[in-house]
Amino acid sequence: MESQATLNSIQKAVWDGRLPLQISLAPSESRIYDQTDPYLISYPRISYLPSLLPRLRAFFASSLIDPSSHAHDGWFSFEGVPLKWHLPIGLLYDLYAGADPASKGTAESEDAGWDIDDQDSPLPWRLVVHFSDWPDEELVRLDADGMVMNDAFINSVKEADFLRNGTAKGIMSLSKEDSSGLWKSVQDVELPSFQRISNILLPPLNQPFRNIPIRIFLPLPPDSGSPSLKVVQSPVPPSIPPASVAASQLALSRSSITPQTQTVGSALHSLLPHLFPSRRTPVLAKPVLHGAAVPMSAPVEELVRSSAYGDGWLYVVIRMMG
Amino acid sequence: MQKVSAAVVTRRSVEGVLSAFPLLTSEEFECACRAFLDRIHVLGNLDRVGWSSIRFVQQATGPVLKISRSIHNASIPYYDDTLSAPVDIEEPQVEICEDDPEALIRASNSSNCLHIEHDVILSPTYQVPVLYFTLRRDSYPGPLGIDEVYQYLVPDQYRRELQEVGVMGGISFGYHPQSGTPAFFVHPCNTADAMKQIAGQQRVTPEAYLIIWLGMVGNRLSLPLPHELFATEGMKNPQGLG
Repeated sequence: MESQATLNSIQKAVWDGRLPLQISLAPSESRIYDQTDPYLISYPRISYLPSLLPRLRAFFASSLIDPSSHAHDGWFSFEGVPLKWHLPIGLLYDLYAGADPASKGTAESEDAGWDIDDQDSPLPWRLVVHFSDWPDEELVRLDADGMVMNDAFINSVKEADFLRNGTAKGIMSLSKEDSSGLWKSVQDVELPSFQRISNILLPPLNQPFRNIPIRIFLPLPPDSGSPSLKVVQSPVPPSIPPASVAASQLALSRSSITPQTQTVGSALHSLLPHLFPSRRTPVLAKPVLHGAAVPMSAPVEELVRSSAYGDGWLYVVIRMMG
Repeated sequence: MQKVSAAVVTRRSVEGVLSAFPLLTSEEFECACRAFLDRIHVLGNLDRVGWSSIRFVQQATGPVLKISRSIHNASIPYYDDTLSAPVDIEEPQVEICEDDPEALIRASNSSNCLHIEHDVILSPTYQVPVLYFTLRRDSYPGPLGIDEVYQYLVPDQYRRELQEVGVMGGISFGYHPQSGTPAFFVHPCNTADAMKQIAGQQRVTPEAYLIIWLGMVGNRLSLPLPHELFATEGMKNPQGLG
């Protein structure tokens, strides 16, 4: 296991990650159709879209045909697909924007491919905000007090906690103050207060997780027209139990009895053997996390301790190669 | 495949007891669903319990047990005075919608027909079954909300428990893990404990586990099970299910 300091510095880089967004008002809701100025902002990848709604509602107030809508009536779409607000913005971008992930060796400058006038450039990410016609068949409605978002976040934290420990007693035993503080620290992108509370939840470094909270998002055929996502989740332990190592190998050497570290490659190979025929090399597809290609050799427990989203989950997007 | 006989107890020797009780493995869940489906088909007519269909579907992300139900409730008003109107779901004002579409058109208040789609899936996190459901009403365009769920589906005696996150967890609104569409679900984080309390002393088969669980969660959502399921030796209606 890498040292806590190394894990913390990776975590800081993850929390510092930002995306430039260009958000337009849905033309059908604007007094001047598509002539409304867009709202531009650089926003943290780990944040959630609804946090932007109050300022967007205020920014677009004078353009709205229907002035009676509220901030929490707001929802976002990208190329006509309503975006699930319970997923962090960075994950939505990795899923939908079709941008190539950054990877080691491709020396590109920070703002490569950045062109505000070129509609085809992936950045800034161009989203549309709507304040009416909530898509009830696709999105859970928000409420004025933010309770719906808070509940969704806490449910997700609870699940991650259950996978790590085998019980959800950790999150249940958090004080009310800390449990709302956790959500607030993610909303405000306050890493120090987030770390203080999540350290109560996480087992210490010398105590391995029972399972890794990881969900794998699979690519959809580009013409599927379906907004639904295919998500794979299955218990992934941080080490590969000796039982799954071939019996002959066991007989050969004592060393193979010690459990092997579960890497991104070994986890993907066991969950998706057709997409990941090799544990070491991405052949057909590659895993993407926070906009970057993840090394197949990265140990999953180190990865989740350093690079999980605010709810404690690793959300890995699979991108086809070729 | 062995022909289903009446008593759960006879299956025990075939299926064996659960390996990780109170949790279910995905193999045990699938086995439970198939056995349950066989048993329901032997019982035949589902009209008595108001089920319009029950299916087992193997989807890419895992197996699902799907139960559809329609209830025609003359006491459902168009404009709801939530929770103050006495809605007595368990009494027989609840009628089954007829399958004949013309019959529905002739009915004077067909728009009061409620449709509930239940999907039972195995939670990959909690390793217990989870019930996802949506509630719709004829003549209403979208899915109905949580107020209507409490008003039409949750019997009085469970209302407080579910609203306060009781033994079976509260009702949450979230995304169906397979379709990705909005759906209600009964939060599974207390299911393992509840199963241990109720079935802890018995050596349960996967199917018995599923029936006990479905009985527990079904009671809270007015989803009745055919009583024959319980009227067998070794599967008496356990306390806490009533």
